[in-house]
Amino acid sequence: MAGKIGAIYRKEIIDTLRDGRSVFAIFVFPFLLYPAMILFMGWIHAKSAEEAKVLPVRVGLVGAAQVPGLADSVGAQQAVTAVALSAVPDSLETSGVNAVLEVPEDAAARLGRGDSAKVILYYKDADDRSSAAGDRMKPVMEWLRRTLTVAWAREHGATIDAPPALDVERRDISSKAEVGRSVAALVIPYLLVFMIAAGAMHTAVDATTGEKERSTLETILASSASRAELVLGKCAAVLSASLTGAITGIFGLWFSFAVVANAFSALSDQSLQFSVGPMAMLWIFLSILPAAVFLCAVLVAIGCFARSMREGQTYATYVYMAAVFLGLGSFSGQHDIPLQRFFIPILNTALLQREILTNAVVPLHALAAIGTSVLAAAVMLGIAMRLFSNESVLFRT
Amino acid sequence: MIQVQELRKVFHDRKKGEIPAVGGISFTCRPGQVFGLLGRNGAGKTTTLRMLATILAPTSGTAVVQGFDIVRQGADVRRSIGYLSGDTNLYGRLTGREILGYFGALAGMEPAAVAKRVEELRETFDLGEVLGKRVVNMSTGMKQRLSVARVVLHDPPVLIFDEPTAGLDVIGAREVLRIVQEFRGRGRTVIFSTHIMTEAERLCDEVAIIEQGAILAQGTVEELRRRVNGASLEDAFIDVVGSVNDGR
Repeated sequence: MAGKIGAIYRKEIIDTLRDGRSVFAIFVFPFLLYPAMILFMGWIHAKSAEEAKVLPVRVGLVGAAQVPGLADSVGAQQAVTAVALSAVPDSLETSGVNAVLEVPEDAAARLGRGDSAKVILYYKDADDRSSAAGDRMKPVMEWLRRTLTVAWAREHGATIDAPPALDVERRDISSKAEVGRSVAALVIPYLLVFMIAAGAMHTAVDATTGEKERSTLETILASSASRAELVLGKCAAVLSASLTGAITGIFGLWFSFAVVANAFSALSDQSLQFSVGPMAMLWIFLSILPAAVFLCAVLVAIGCFARSMREGQTYATYVYMAAVFLGLGSFSGQHDIPLQRFFIPILNTALLQREILTNAVVPLHALAAIGTSVLAAAVMLGIAMRLFSNESVLFRT
Repeated sequence: MIQVQELRKVFHDRKKGEIPAVGGISFTCRPGQVFGLLGRNGAGKTTTLRMLATILAPTSGTAVVQGFDIVRQGADVRRSIGYLSGDTNLYGRLTGREILGYFGALAGMEPAAVAKRVEELRETFDLGEVLGKRVVNMSTGMKQRLSVARVVLHDPPVLIFDEPTAGLDVIGAREVLRIVQEFRGRGRTVIFSTHIMTEAERLCDEVAIIEQGAILAQGTVEELRRRVNGASLEDAFIDVVGSVNDGR
């Protein structure tokens, strides 16, 4: 059985590599589509910003006693909990807060003396919740600037020519690696889904509907290979094409940000440090396999059903678009993702990829996502085999 | 050996309803014999042969191919047959050798056995130029030789040819007929469908005339000729088919 599946696999790979459309889809398509995707991502980003406004965050306050009413002002912001801290912690992650607002111990006295004082908000733009906390504190920062300036003006009778040397600063303390990881976690899951669908669709249609259109179907149906072997061999070939498409796509993305952007000084600000460890890469690969098998089986089933290449490609495009939109769903609702979303094929994989890339895997989420995808893949393979055994489907006119 | 008993096939169409294609036919085809199915387009020849090749499942009736039941032992049947249809094609992007390797693997042959068999077939079918060439660059004759080599690659005892000369020129068709005769000489069971009477006259040991899914007449070419006082098989065919259509 394995020999026959291998033979089908090898034949389909050779056939695919000699098909211009498939080669285009695997090696060229990913490089053309990024500009369109970036536009989409901007829209999604705006939606995410709206969601971030109601996300519960905790803000640590250091030296809040220096400014009467500061804790109340922080607490008055939507879904913000103020937490008193004695000093700025070394790490936001371990201190249980999403941002820290530091007012120097002697800020009022320093301003009174005519010295400078700096109020700093520490947060991480690369972390969704910390970034939301940073945005939520903007009015507080403005309130602080005004309050300290008014206090200073009252003390000096508001007749001094120069304003106080007060600096209110929002300081993003994300490392470049954290920024890279954040971008990777946002972009890679969606791209993987997108590129797997793109890489699979042409090969799947060619390997199934193509057999009908080229009048080669009868030759394999009359061979001693079983229908299951034929479907499995074809699915394996489609899977190879789709995973290769995904890998070349990710490589293209890395090349754009890490190599091309660094090579041109004008673009160097846009360079990113992608640092996805080997274990994360392995988990990403393993977690995407069931979803890729599911998608390939869907496309093979559709290819069996279609009467012509044109019809097959039309159906495949619908599947592709559905996969893309499910993948896009991973952009919104990035915080406290409901468990139900991990039961939706494709979307669950994209969401799990995000968790893997941000080291925030929830075991129940992983179990639900992988379990659902494996089940969906098995069901879809079964459907593909049934369709390939159904003469009214294979020979429908 | 092929034994067909009351084989019947009805297609179901959502708009047209039930479409009877083959209506309970019976015949036997013995080793060393070429059995011809003669009929017009749409008479039921292809459906019959597809059922024998297990590509289609019969609605009722049975057929035994080389001792295997076509419904219950489909895989064994397929292992025992070589199936060639004039409608079928080959993979354009593969070379002749890759095609034969692929179908050898599907037949369960080891790569070494395929390579050995390809060498044997190289001379028989003049495959020298064909093996290294992609199908898309082959002439029709080359493709046909390769198709026949594909069919006999695993040396099946039963050969099913469904209008194998369709679309071929005179020389190509003659070559295919020569090969069919050669298989008969080697004791293979050959079933051959055609609507070209001269092919049947030249090749077939026994002939069944099929029309609207039913066998109207069956016998040797000579026996059928006697129906029309020794005229041609074509006259006999027209006489038989015409009698049905005239309601005689």
